[in-house]
Amino acid sequence: MALTETSTPSIAAPRGGALSRWVSRHAAILLLGLILVLLPAVANEFLLDQIVGWSLALGMIALSLMFLAGYGGMVSLAQMTIAGVAGYMVAVLGASSLPTISLFWPWWVATPLAIAIAVVFGTLSGALSARTEGIYTIMITLAIAAAFFYLTLQNWPIFNGFNGFTTIPAPHFWGVNWRAPVPLYYLILFFAASSYGAVVYISRAPFGLALQGVRDNPRRMEAIGYNVAAHRVAAHAFAALIAAIGGVLLVWLNNQISPFSISFERVIDVLVIAVVGGLGHPIGAFVGAIIYVILRTFALDALLAVGLDGRRFQTIIGLGFLLIVLFSPDGVIGLWRRWSARLRANGGSRRL
Amino acid sequence: MSTIAERMAAAGAGAAIELRGVTRLFGALAALTDITLSVRPGERRAVLGSNGAGKTTLLNCVTGDFPPTSGTVRFFGEDVTILPPHERIRRGLRRTYQISLLFQRLTVRENVYLACRGVSRGRFSFLRTRAGEAIMQSVADLIALVHLENVADRLVGELAHGQQRQLEIALALAGAPRFILFDEPAAGLSPTERGDLVAILTALPSHIGYIIIEHDMDVALRVVESVTMMHNGRIFKEGAPAEIETDPEVQRLYLGGGHG
Amino acid sequence: MTTAFGGDEAVAARGGALARWIARRPLAALVIAAAAALALWLILAPWPAGFEEWFGRKRLFVNALFNGVTLGGLYFLVAAGFTLIFGLMRNVNLAHGSLYLFGGYMGYEAADWTGSWLFSYIVAFICCAVVGVAMQILIFRRMEGEDLRQTLVTLGLAIIFSDLMVWVWGGNAIQIATPDYLNGPTPTPIVVAVKSSGEAVFLQYPRVRLVIFAAAVLIGVGMWLALHRTRIGVMIRAGVDDRDMLSALGYRVQILFALVFAFGAGLAGMAGIVGGTFQSISLGEDSHFLLASLQVVIVGGMGSIPGAALGALIMGCSEQFGLVYFQNYATMVTFLIMVLVLAIRPQGLLGRG
Repeated sequence: MALTETSTPSIAAPRGGALSRWVSRHAAILLLGLILVLLPAVANEFLLDQIVGWSLALGMIALSLMFLAGYGGMVSLAQMTIAGVAGYMVAVLGASSLPTISLFWPWWVATPLAIAIAVVFGTLSGALSARTEGIYTIMITLAIAAAFFYLTLQNWPIFNGFNGFTTIPAPHFWGVNWRAPVPLYYLILFFAASSYGAVVYISRAPFGLALQGVRDNPRRMEAIGYNVAAHRVAAHAFAALIAAIGGVLLVWLNNQISPFSISFERVIDVLVIAVVGGLGHPIGAFVGAIIYVILRTFALDALLAVGLDGRRFQTIIGLGFLLIVLFSPDGVIGLWRRWSARLRANGGSRRL
Repeated sequence: MSTIAERMAAAGAGAAIELRGVTRLFGALAALTDITLSVRPGERRAVLGSNGAGKTTLLNCVTGDFPPTSGTVRFFGEDVTILPPHERIRRGLRRTYQISLLFQRLTVRENVYLACRGVSRGRFSFLRTRAGEAIMQSVADLIALVHLENVADRLVGELAHGQQRQLEIALALAGAPRFILFDEPAAGLSPTERGDLVAILTALPSHIGYIIIEHDMDVALRVVESVTMMHNGRIFKEGAPAEIETDPEVQRLYLGGGHG
Repeated sequence: MTTAFGGDEAVAARGGALARWIARRPLAALVIAAAAALALWLILAPWPAGFEEWFGRKRLFVNALFNGVTLGGLYFLVAAGFTLIFGLMRNVNLAHGSLYLFGGYMGYEAADWTGSWLFSYIVAFICCAVVGVAMQILIFRRMEGEDLRQTLVTLGLAIIFSDLMVWVWGGNAIQIATPDYLNGPTPTPIVVAVKSSGEAVFLQYPRVRLVIFAAAVLIGVGMWLALHRTRIGVMIRAGVDDRDMLSALGYRVQILFALVFAFGAGLAGMAGIVGGTFQSISLGEDSHFLLASLQVVIVGGMGSIPGAALGALIMGCSEQFGLVYFQNYATMVTFLIMVLVLAIRPQGLLGRG
């Protein structure tokens, strides 16, 4: 499956002069990190939270899908739903504008518990699809996502129907109001960077390598001693953790959650983000997310500016997605890789 | 569940692999009919027969890739008939595949590493393996054993056919195998590579038994001490290589079927 | 209750094998027979006094049952094409809901223009079949064997179609008028209550829903016959069961694919009119029916027409009973059934191993 092409540098290759080599190999990502850390010095609140913060939180949810699809060959459409379960639980267990439903437990109880519930949910839905092969995962997880959407829509005692929850405060601790734009930005950046780092690291650890083995050849994995179904379920659990944290951050960022945060369109958006960015490398999830957020934020005005109907935004997203799937199955990062490879080839001996 | 003591006793007394009345159906088609077979620990056995005789299905029933429709499979005395494949592998059973079932998008080293990890602890470890760890040494040893040092960090998809066959064998030797099933390991190999293969097989520690399916009689009969002949999903003859080679019925069926 | 119905359907689908099946599973057969008898009694007999405390009024129960079964008929029409396309081409057609909605809109336009409700079915079938064939020939033929990529393409198309349909028809719900000859209720011989005078009250049920359900059953039987009695049908079934068979067909496999795609899409389009007559069609119904198809196919078994029928009945009934008896958790009933099936039989009730 060309979609899940993953470059695999060798494990445990000898490392001499480790630090400088490491820095030069990761120059691009370190530079990006530095820019993101220094961003609050120059950016306004809108750019900070509504563009970059949103992209990073959404990117985490897409990253959880990238991990499952890129390394495990399992395209799960339940990742936004898992994020939604975590978000809803934060509102139900913690505080919101609905005293009749919310339990107002302190954040350090409510948040970890919400994430734990979402991880259990993600693990169970993973277990449901782990026994079936590849393409079935899409169907089963989509059905799970739909069931949860309709549940939140219909159910008033717990999920407050289609109104959902508003005024869900981010916690105060260490003397910081984490709902304030800059602290919230750093909070999101911290978790996004950690989960990115974790996925990159684990992809070369035994667990991640074995997952790639399961993707390429489940039968052979059984024949060299791996419990394939257990490995798949464990991957779902790990991905659910990332998605759940992303979901909590999204709720704090948006200050609300409703069925429309986890509707069919939002569930599909996560897949669109991950595929457009590229399933071949974890950075693709964030690349896809920033493209999506910029489009969502500015496409309407841009379309109107050139005299088109601004409401046709979905068609633009759909067409872009279709073009990527048809012509660059490894997404934008695949385009970039090919483009830089050609540049190098033209530039002659730059690399040697 | 038998106790460990019982299992040891059974293993000491009994066979490494014992099939009793194994039948495997695919729909209405019987790929194996009432197979009863026993191989001692350390014994090296060839299973010969024409295409479609049920040889590969036999291996699949032993490893659990396709469990038998009826009958029992014992591995060192333990009933493994309904055990999933990975559990059998962890008990010391290994196999190679006739068609390459390797991880094409991983390197040779990663392939061998996965096989070593699969039969050791830490399969789910989130911590990367460092270069100095013992498992990396056994990975390097296995790669050296099958002469793939020069391509150790190349992607498997880029290897020549012969090299992929050698990697197959390396995967089967990972950990502490007690019994190995080789499915046509010489298929598509050059004469030199066949020589290497025979050398690797004969150099295996004597406690490791194996069953080998092979079309090349020259290879098969040089590396085994006993032969089982199959035809149409049934065993019709067992004996020493010399007996089998001269048996007229074998000559007729095997040479006739081999080209069919 | 729903399982009793499912059981009946399964047994019917197996036709001549019934006796063998009973011999093989006497206990299951007994349970199904008892459940069926209980269901029949619940439906036909007037209820004793204590029952209403548990099940509510009988009218509610019987209405939920009729709504569920007829909704199942509609689900079957949508899901039958979905399951065939998936079974044969391993293509999870996420644009299937869009075809349903498109068929509904085209049917609405046609009925509006010509005034003929029946004619609108032909229009919807042809329009959707053309779109389906175009998708198969222009796109999917070029990426054969890449099931994930095909599925992603259908997803992109679903996003675009849905937006374009909002553009053309707006966001408001559209109801397709029932023709006069099908309008109004039909009396049924089912007693729903007994008046204090001792006079029995019989259930009245919308005629159009009964007629459409009968049509769905006819189409289902027709498909089953076509799959078992015609050459093309046998080829399709062979392709579903054994993918390698398809390569033996050579170039004709493309014709077969296009045909199945056309038929499945056309059927979804016709279902759009049914949906527009039963309820209404509007923005969002495409995803609703896509998801219903997914659930039906997961429960019934991928690639199986009797499976789709069984799954559709179970899903339709559980949805309607859920609405009546567990308001806040109605979708959980459907969902739990799906989970249960996946846990016990991942390949679906009538799916192949």
